[in-house]
Amino acid sequence: MAKKTKKQKSYFDSVHSWGRISSISALFVLLMFPLAITLYLGVVPDKTFLSYVLNGLLKVAPLYWALAVVEVIFYTPMLGAGGTYLSFVTGNIVNLKLPCAISAMENAKVKATSEEGDVISTIAIATSAIVTTAVLAIGIIAFAPFLDSFTSSPLLVPAFKQVLPALFGALGAGYFVKHWKLSFAPILFMLAILVFVPDIGASTLLIPGIIASVVFAFIMYKVGFLDKKAK
Amino acid sequence: MPAKFDNGSIGLYLIAGAVILFVLGQSLFFLIKAWKHGRKIGIDKKKLISAVTSSALFTIPSALSVLATVIALAPALGLVIPWVRLSVIGNLTYETVAATNAIEAFGITTGISEKITDPEVYAGIAWVMTIGICFSLIILPFVAKPLHKKFLKLNQKTDEEPVAEEAATVAADAAKPKKKRGFAGFVDYVTPALFIGLIGAYVANAILGSGKPDVAIDGAGVLSILTLVTSIAVSIVLELVAKKCKLTWLEPFVMPIGMIAGMVVAVLAYNLPEIGQKLVEATDVAALDWIGEKLMSLKDIVIIEWRG
Repeated sequence: MAKKTKKQKSYFDSVHSWGRISSISALFVLLMFPLAITLYLGVVPDKTFLSYVLNGLLKVAPLYWALAVVEVIFYTPMLGAGGTYLSFVTGNIVNLKLPCAISAMENAKVKATSEEGDVISTIAIATSAIVTTAVLAIGIIAFAPFLDSFTSSPLLVPAFKQVLPALFGALGAGYFVKHWKLSFAPILFMLAILVFVPDIGASTLLIPGIIASVVFAFIMYKVGFLDKKAK
Repeated sequence: MPAKFDNGSIGLYLIAGAVILFVLGQSLFFLIKAWKHGRKIGIDKKKLISAVTSSALFTIPSALSVLATVIALAPALGLVIPWVRLSVIGNLTYETVAATNAIEAFGITTGISEKITDPEVYAGIAWVMTIGICFSLIILPFVAKPLHKKFLKLNQKTDEEPVAEEAATVAADAAKPKKKRGFAGFVDYVTPALFIGLIGAYVANAILGSGKPDVAIDGAGVLSILTLVTSIAVSIVLELVAKKCKLTWLEPFVMPIGMIAGMVVAVLAYNLPEIGQKLVEATDVAALDWIGEKLMSLKDIVIIEWRG
């Protein structure tokens, strides 16, 4: 038993060391991307440019940096050590990596906190990342020559105009059914906002929406509305 | 500075290719490392192969919806930025929001539907989208190890009693005191609540939001509701079919099919009256004229937006 604990420790320690190296190097490479674009296009990062970037970041960063903290805390125990590092580098966690890892671990009948679970989860996530990269690369290479004619075709205009309702309808359907108690209050709240400020835009609306959603959920939790029925 | 640039130039593709190869290398590295260790601790080879094949199959439909997002962002940004952003950390919900916000910050009101022609704006968008998403990689090296260790400890405690819970809920349940309604029990609801807030904003916007006044079918109206209802309904029906008939292979396809169904209905609803009208005209039968009129009034209904 003591031997197993020691072996387990060394495996997890090694995963954490490599994971840290992978996160930091990925961060470095990631930041090189906009830098390379800026240099390649000969853009001068003057004061006005920086103020525009800062302005855009102010709209995006507070929410997504907060979400990043929540995601790291919640997903780490579900993904296992190796899976966590790889998932956060490759992204699409909630719609791809997490369901993939959970289903692989269920199939293999292992838990994320066991060494076997960690191995299966990492293999599932790595495979998922490689397949996603391949699908994107093939899709993009095949699609690039037709892009302009495709996106400007009057026949397809509504498809591109309605991509957000289609995407979020399909993404939301599962959540709304599974968490209907959590869903109706924040959506009604956001509809009420839209009655008064119809042009607020979804990207701004989601800030009061998320806050309201968590507050409503907390109230419903406190009054016992979310309690599951005893089986 | 050049006034215009090619957002699909070879140079940009090479930059993107380098980033993507790096990420691919990391995935391969972790895959090989986990595989070797799995064999070392005695996991059956068949089990490992099954994890690879089932994950690959599971991924393809969702990867197609990621590809659809890349394509959805392409009219404004070309393929390079969306490709990289959705291959490294990115995700469906974040990238569209970040791109829209970044474009708006530069004073452009057409959102993600018009091509970005100014290289300065293009580079700015790349910075905003990248810095906006990178925070998890900054904190991960500091918090992942202590967090993971804590959950391992919690798990060791619960392991002393036989547990048959799902892997996903084990850790959260272990930390949750029963029936006390303290903050620890609430953590289970935080992630769904966050996602519902996020997704709900787009759903609400498709029901009541107004678009840009000078862009047709941009705001909420008949077409957006039709799309939304179709994608929700198709997803729910498919989900039910998959569960009731135990078609596990169908489950990963539910979301992409729902999304595509919504877009197909939008295209059909928008184009069919016109196509039908042309067919009526082509037949040149006077008696069919009223059908043509009806079809064109149907077209008027389809393009209604609540806020004009």
